[in-house]
Amino acid sequence: MKTENNVMYVLRLALTLLAITAVVAAALAGVNSITKPVIDQLTAEKTQQAIQAVLPGGGEEVDFAASSAIVSKVYKGESGYAVEVTPGGFDNTITMMVGVDYDGKVLGISIISHTETAGLGAVAAAATPAGEAFRGQFVGQSGSVSVTKDGGAMDAITGATITSRAICDGVNAALACAATLG
Amino acid sequence: MNFKKQFKEGLLTKNPVTVQLLGMCSTLAITTSLFNGIGMGLAVTIITICSNVLISALRKVIPNQIRIAAYITIIAGFVTVVDLFLQAYIPALAESLGVFIPLIVVNCMVLGRAEAFASKNGVLASAVDGLCQGIGYTVALVIVCVIRELLGSGTFGGGLLGPGGAGIQIIPQPFPAMQIVMPVGGFLVLGFVLAGSQWLMKHLEMKSKKKEAAK
Repeated sequence: MKTENNVMYVLRLALTLLAITAVVAAALAGVNSITKPVIDQLTAEKTQQAIQAVLPGGGEEVDFAASSAIVSKVYKGESGYAVEVTPGGFDNTITMMVGVDYDGKVLGISIISHTETAGLGAVAAAATPAGEAFRGQFVGQSGSVSVTKDGGAMDAITGATITSRAICDGVNAALACAATLG
Repeated sequence: MNFKKQFKEGLLTKNPVTVQLLGMCSTLAITTSLFNGIGMGLAVTIITICSNVLISALRKVIPNQIRIAAYITIIAGFVTVVDLFLQAYIPALAESLGVFIPLIVVNCMVLGRAEAFASKNGVLASAVDGLCQGIGYTVALVIVCVIRELLGSGTFGGGLLGPGGAGIQIIPQPFPAMQIVMPVGGFLVLGFVLAGSQWLMKHLEMKSKKKEAAK
């Protein structure tokens, strides 16, 4: 009966795998329906927090003419704009919010998500004194920023400056975008 | 079923990391802070227990020819469930481990236990096996984490303790060697941990031999 050339047997293999896959898929759909609203809410909260952190009073999303591909969203508030930018970091994009006032000065930066190296690039996003100091030096900057290694005024977080340069790119894109909005 | 034997095997003599050399990718990649080590260890332990139980329960239903495909589907299902729950309820851990949570699917330890144990043993024994192997994996990961974090960042308990979860500074800056947190440090520390566990096993073996000789 159970020869490997038997059509019924081959069919049984396929149907068993199909059944397992179907059950797993159904289970995942169930779990996803529970977790999706929670995850969506967390993401929205995080974005709101980031906007609040760089733009006092928060802001409403507005349309913008993309001056750079890394600008993803712009929020307009009382004192300026919060620009969401996604510059390329060490091994993935960094999602960050940059606050720019109507005079084209940086109000603050806040990093929403990143996958930088723990202990190195990740320090840029950490809630530690070193992280605060790194992000704090962007406040009040205008025009364009770069790290000291590139002749700028920003102290890089590590010697290789990959994360620091990415964050400078993000700030520059945000400043340029805010400048076009006036 | 011998719980004590399984526990000893998982922890030392058949430790998934230091003896079977499975799950190396995660062992090298995420062992930079205590939080990561414990989180990854627990996630893998839960997934191994669940997949071991289900695979053991289905071991007579799943035809031999398609067993690997079936195992991976089941494992991937559990990994995705854990991934979604982490993102929803422990977002800090999901962020810290990033892509290495979905990559548990290809952690050979989970498939290894399915193939080597769960497909041949009963449900309860398989659950215990998953737990013991998971504990062994977690302990090995935590040891590597603590060493790398201490030497590389100079801290203990990163992600859990200290101001902003940066850990308690033990070695003051600028003395910690940053390279230890980098991949090269991962390989170095793992090598020493492997050597240490080999020494410990030899040591214990000699001790038990001496005891027998004395008798």
